[in-house]
Amino acid sequence: MPVADQPKTEYLFSLYGTPVRYTTSSSLLTAPVEELLRHFRRDAIEETTPLTVQFYTVQDRSEIPLALSPSVRHLVSGTDVAAEGRPEDDLPYVVSQDGGRLLIDFTDAGLFVIDGANGRAEGYLLKPERMSDNLIEYLFHLTLIELLRHQRLYTIHATALEWQGRGVLIPGNSGRGKTTSFISLLRAGYRYLSDDHPLIRDAGGHIELLSFPIKINVTDETIAFFPELRNAPEQVLQRQPGFHKRGFYAEEIYPTGIGTCCKPALVLFPQVVDAPKSHLERISKSRALELVLPQALLVYDQEVARREFQVLTKLVQQVDCYRLHFGRDILDLPKLVTPLLEQVC
Amino acid sequence: MSRSLHQATSDAVPVWTIDQTVCDRTVLRSSPDVQGTSMDGETVLLDLSSGRYYTLNRVGSVIWEQCTGDKTISDIQAVLCDRFDVAPERALDDLVTLVNELTQEGLLQQERR
Repeated sequence: MPVADQPKTEYLFSLYGTPVRYTTSSSLLTAPVEELLRHFRRDAIEETTPLTVQFYTVQDRSEIPLALSPSVRHLVSGTDVAAEGRPEDDLPYVVSQDGGRLLIDFTDAGLFVIDGANGRAEGYLLKPERMSDNLIEYLFHLTLIELLRHQRLYTIHATALEWQGRGVLIPGNSGRGKTTSFISLLRAGYRYLSDDHPLIRDAGGHIELLSFPIKINVTDETIAFFPELRNAPEQVLQRQPGFHKRGFYAEEIYPTGIGTCCKPALVLFPQVVDAPKSHLERISKSRALELVLPQALLVYDQEVARREFQVLTKLVQQVDCYRLHFGRDILDLPKLVTPLLEQVC
Repeated sequence: MSRSLHQATSDAVPVWTIDQTVCDRTVLRSSPDVQGTSMDGETVLLDLSSGRYYTLNRVGSVIWEQCTGDKTISDIQAVLCDRFDVAPERALDDLVTLVNELTQEGLLQQERR
């Protein structure tokens, strides 16, 4: 059956005033998206022009109904930074631009057509029955991030927490202690905003940090640091097919709950060091911006990138920035970080 | 992708050679594709056409903020001598080296007048 004729089911979401309508022709493509956006599900949305994402299943690339104009141009290709820090980072991709449309071709996984200016995206997933839920979730998230960018909602690759109305961001690539430092603060009563992809937006006078709560993914090495994770039952700390990390919902282990939005006050750039004690080293704003840019900004649309650069600049100017030399005193991290937040008015 | 232009290095390959006459007649202007911000005396530049970003140190930042399309290389050399304790010849050397690098990277445009 041609993809346009496939029967579709509709799901509605709202992210901080931005309505999203997701339609899909396949039940395989439902659960991962509902899981990703479970805190944003709505029965109805009021806006007449929501962001629209449509995902289709195809068995062969020839089924993808895509007509390219002669002006299509290659932007970037590779296997590493189509989106930051996810388990599917080694997925080959080619990004092209065709007029106002962004085309992201994941070869064996499918093709995604994103029209940011008009708030529409289509994804054609090649044989999704052989994909893990994590991969489908990643492909949807990537598409959504690009649409949200055009709505002035930006994603940063970081963990994020809130403590008494003040936000802490911990950006960084995998293996730098991002999730371990995040859990150390979470268990000390900090509220959960996001394990991997919080949102930021310009609220005029300041930058707002917005929660994007998803399942927290942890390695066995991270689990070993925390008694409550070591002792968590299998149904809470779940194994995930095709993925080396185990996942849990913050609220099932930590009682402080999920925050919504706050003003960021602190950015920590973690780096694991072989030392008994952790310490913080204050860094300049320009160095902090240099470190934040690769965790957030991808230049596909120049005007969108210009605005995002300005928002990231404003974020860095608003917060105190430190390099966290993260030693073996993992459980004591709150003793280092909380006094800094107490100083912030 | 990050590129650092902290140091004006003497082994950089010049795109063009500048003599005094050229210095007096060449006006520098930042590329419209570049978005920049100054923080703590340093400047972070984002090239929107390539996605690359760069950091300029204090001297580079002063040079960059003068590249507004109405100052010549000689004017900017005079600003450097005024703001920093540096000999005019050394200021010009560093200025030309950085201008060459910025031009090569497509961040800076030159106009003769």
